[in-house]
Amino acid sequence: MNLRRFTGRKAKDADFADEIESHLAHEQDANAARGLSPEKARRRASLRFGNRNSLRDGEWRYRSVPWLDALWRDLKFVARSLRKTPGFTIVAIIVIAVGIGVNTAVFSVINTVLLKPLTYPNPRELVMLMNSSPRGSFPGANVPKFNIWRQQTGVFAKVAAYDYGGAGLNLTGGDHPIQVQGVHVSQQFISMLGAPVVAGRTFTQAEDSPNGGRVVVLSSGLWKSRFGGNQHIVGSTIQLDGHPYLVVGIIGKDFETEVPTDLWLPFQFDLNTQDQAHYFAVAARLKPGVTIGQANAQLKLAADQFRRTYGPEAMGPQDGFGVESLEATMVGDSRTSLWVLMGAVAFVLLIACANVANLLLVRASVRKRELATRAALGAGRAQIVRQLLVESLALALSGGLLGLVLGAVGVRVLLAMARGGIPRIGENGSAVVPDWHVLLFTLGVSILTGVLFGLAPAIGASRPNLVAALNESSSRSGAGFRSGKVRSVLVVSEMALALILVIGATLLIRTFMKLQAVDPGYDTRNVLTMAMSISGDRFQKTAGVAQLVKDGTDRVSALPGVQNAAAACCLPLDGGFGLPFNIVGRPKGKEPFTGGGGYLTVSWNYFNAFKIPLLRGRMFTEQDNGAAPGVVIINETMAKRFWPKGDPLKDRLEIGPGMGPNFTESARQVIGIVGDTRVQSLSQEPDPIMYTPIAQMPDGMTALNSRIAPLYWIARTRVEPHSLATPMAEALRVASGGLPVAHIRTMDELVIRNTSRQRFNMLLLTIFGASALLMAAIGIYGLMAYSVQQRTQEMGIRMALGAQAAHIRTLVIRQGMVLALVGVVIGLAGAFGLTRFLASFLFDVKAWDPLAFIATPLLLAAVALVAVWVPAERAVRVDPMSALRFE
Amino acid sequence: MGNAKPTAGEILQGTLDMLILRTLVTGPAHGHTIAQVIEHTSENALEVEQGSLYPALHRLEDRGLVSSEWGTSENNRRAKFYRLTTKGRRELTAATSRWRHMTRAIGLILGESTE
Repeated sequence: MNLRRFTGRKAKDADFADEIESHLAHEQDANAARGLSPEKARRRASLRFGNRNSLRDGEWRYRSVPWLDALWRDLKFVARSLRKTPGFTIVAIIVIAVGIGVNTAVFSVINTVLLKPLTYPNPRELVMLMNSSPRGSFPGANVPKFNIWRQQTGVFAKVAAYDYGGAGLNLTGGDHPIQVQGVHVSQQFISMLGAPVVAGRTFTQAEDSPNGGRVVVLSSGLWKSRFGGNQHIVGSTIQLDGHPYLVVGIIGKDFETEVPTDLWLPFQFDLNTQDQAHYFAVAARLKPGVTIGQANAQLKLAADQFRRTYGPEAMGPQDGFGVESLEATMVGDSRTSLWVLMGAVAFVLLIACANVANLLLVRASVRKRELATRAALGAGRAQIVRQLLVESLALALSGGLLGLVLGAVGVRVLLAMARGGIPRIGENGSAVVPDWHVLLFTLGVSILTGVLFGLAPAIGASRPNLVAALNESSSRSGAGFRSGKVRSVLVVSEMALALILVIGATLLIRTFMKLQAVDPGYDTRNVLTMAMSISGDRFQKTAGVAQLVKDGTDRVSALPGVQNAAAACCLPLDGGFGLPFNIVGRPKGKEPFTGGGGYLTVSWNYFNAFKIPLLRGRMFTEQDNGAAPGVVIINETMAKRFWPKGDPLKDRLEIGPGMGPNFTESARQVIGIVGDTRVQSLSQEPDPIMYTPIAQMPDGMTALNSRIAPLYWIARTRVEPHSLATPMAEALRVASGGLPVAHIRTMDELVIRNTSRQRFNMLLLTIFGASALLMAAIGIYGLMAYSVQQRTQEMGIRMALGAQAAHIRTLVIRQGMVLALVGVVIGLAGAFGLTRFLASFLFDVKAWDPLAFIATPLLLAAVALVAVWVPAERAVRVDPMSALRFE
Repeated sequence: MGNAKPTAGEILQGTLDMLILRTLVTGPAHGHTIAQVIEHTSENALEVEQGSLYPALHRLEDRGLVSSEWGTSENNRRAKFYRLTTKGRRELTAATSRWRHMTRAIGLILGESTE
């Protein structure tokens, strides 16, 4: 197609007019030359030429794109008519903008977390190696497993181990030492994920072997912040825990990691170790073309081989190996949470659509005469529908544009509320940025919205009864039966959708309240915690750690405002370890272990610091040290589960049987039973837990512990805990000979973090539910107010004929409440079907919680009643005389 | 156009275009002249309707086969002059040869001898 045709239409038309004039002049000259009088010459020329205007018209049409022209005309008309009713226009655009805004915000997050592929090359080939068991699958690996997985070269192209940098490292050598996140990885890790190496190289196989030397690869972030982005750092050494480490390479900034990482260190595994404790994770890259199913089949054989080699102690008969896509394991259960949110905001948008459709219907009925006039003057039905659809699309797109802005703001609010509860969103949600997916989504939703709320009113308005519409007086026309029915359906759907959302919100609010009411078993108020990396040489033996713990707790206890101080391997709600155990003297069961439970190593006054009550026996004392006989304290759940009748205090425990030489120790006497604590999460029932003194750990375990996890310090304070952060950090720095602390948090903050997902879901659903309720109330109010206004005359007549005010009121209220109640019934049915998707977010509340299913409809009905009452009162106050003169 | 053989309809429709282009070979001309030249040259066998002449000229201009410019005519009046472009000259050659093929084919069918 030749596009020149469509350009400069107006100029070309004027030019053509001149050209026609010129032609006529020449023709006139020719005629005059043949001897005609000037008038005759002119007339003949004009006659011969024919209709100039129709010629120009033809040219004009030839230069126009037909539908574009019509659209432009409609748009101009729509802009004019919308400008004439600014109230309607503004309300409609705002309602749509809010609906589209929340959808854009939630979709932005979904886009980043769920839809964007991982940033690694061929991300679909990346899998996480899992231990499968009848209770579910979980990551976690030890060297024997890593070895056998690496041998599966038929399905894996690369296999790499990594930890989560739990222990932290102290970057010394500068003015102020800092604790950095150092992740241990095996040699193939960086190349497996295709990390961009911006300078230097990654580890060699030799460097990832025992005694391979101290080498490190820096992240771009640490390189820039600590070393000023100096390229010459490659090849020089930095000080970690007081040792020189050779910097061999730097990784580029776009490398996405599961946990924030400052630097990478080679694992340097002793591949001959038999240790069975899990302390790292393993991921693999499938060979091209290998499916997850094929890998799982291969791993089934590998599991059999593993069981034959290491015995049933290391792997039970029902346990095995498997793989899951790395992306799925990184996203975890955020997936359901985000889709539920998406569903909720879609409901909000639907309600917004219904509201705007209602507004449009009112508008259409007010304009009935205008439309009928247009139809009478020859506008076709298609033309009228088109014009009305253009109007709703113009509204929807304006709303969408505003919604895009609202969404950009909204997504920041959303991420601020999420507080680290969502994976893959980068630091402070920096990875969530609008891209063309989001733009397309918003555009698509806007158009869909416009059609959705515009179609019914447009079609309704396009089949007017011309005679009736033109004859009716404008103020009374329009409460036609048909549009009344459509509007009732809209109000009913709004009510139903709002009810579903509010029931969902109620369930989550109830969940959150139950969580808040949970007694964790320890006192979280006025507890300050901090982490110290103790990966240095001094802390490879238990005596060194015990000395540090003693010095540290003594110094912190001496601080003014501190009630008592303790140290532990782990904090409640912040992860921990588990180990199997045998009860001495009992026959070993068929299961690989006689039992298993949480394993916490703590300083002697840990229980005092957390106010965990002693139920029987005695607490640890300072005398339960390395020289004293081994002791263990268990919690109530463990006592009840493993000694349903007997007395645990008479028994001894063998902890960590079959876990390898590092864990070998003699049996420990059970000396006490303490109250249960919720250490995994507030919503999880307490598990059996064993507590042992830090001072009594086997050296091998201490070494492993110091390497994989930091040491946590705990202070119970008499004053506001954060006020002690600096003196406590300073006391610990002195006690440890200069080690820094990190992750300074109060226990209350840990509780908040632990419930952040529930808080997030609850807050959002509450906001969405409340706005849905508000919109539905506005919808039903609008309908009833309109209907009362339309029926003013009828009310007047009724009252003139002696109807009582109460009767009129009942009439209006009944009409409105019937709609509300139909909506409530439909909504209840919908909620029964949908709340099961919330089941995994609920705690101690059933998906069909009777309170939510009874109280919420009542609330909704009450709101509807208020919304209906106001118009009803107005109906009652109608003055019969003025109503009859209403014309 | 490609290499596909033009249909008879296309050739007849293009005839006015071809005649216009042919007229312009001798030099730029305005619409009135073009119409007159076609009429006179065909010994008044062909009468050009203004209703088709100007749209045809404008389409030719849109296709880049002619260019136009306002100037002064032999009668000392303002007139829009059309000039054959290189592309137009090429098109004229092609159209002429298509026309020759066509008339020869028709002549064969009607049993006339070719020149």
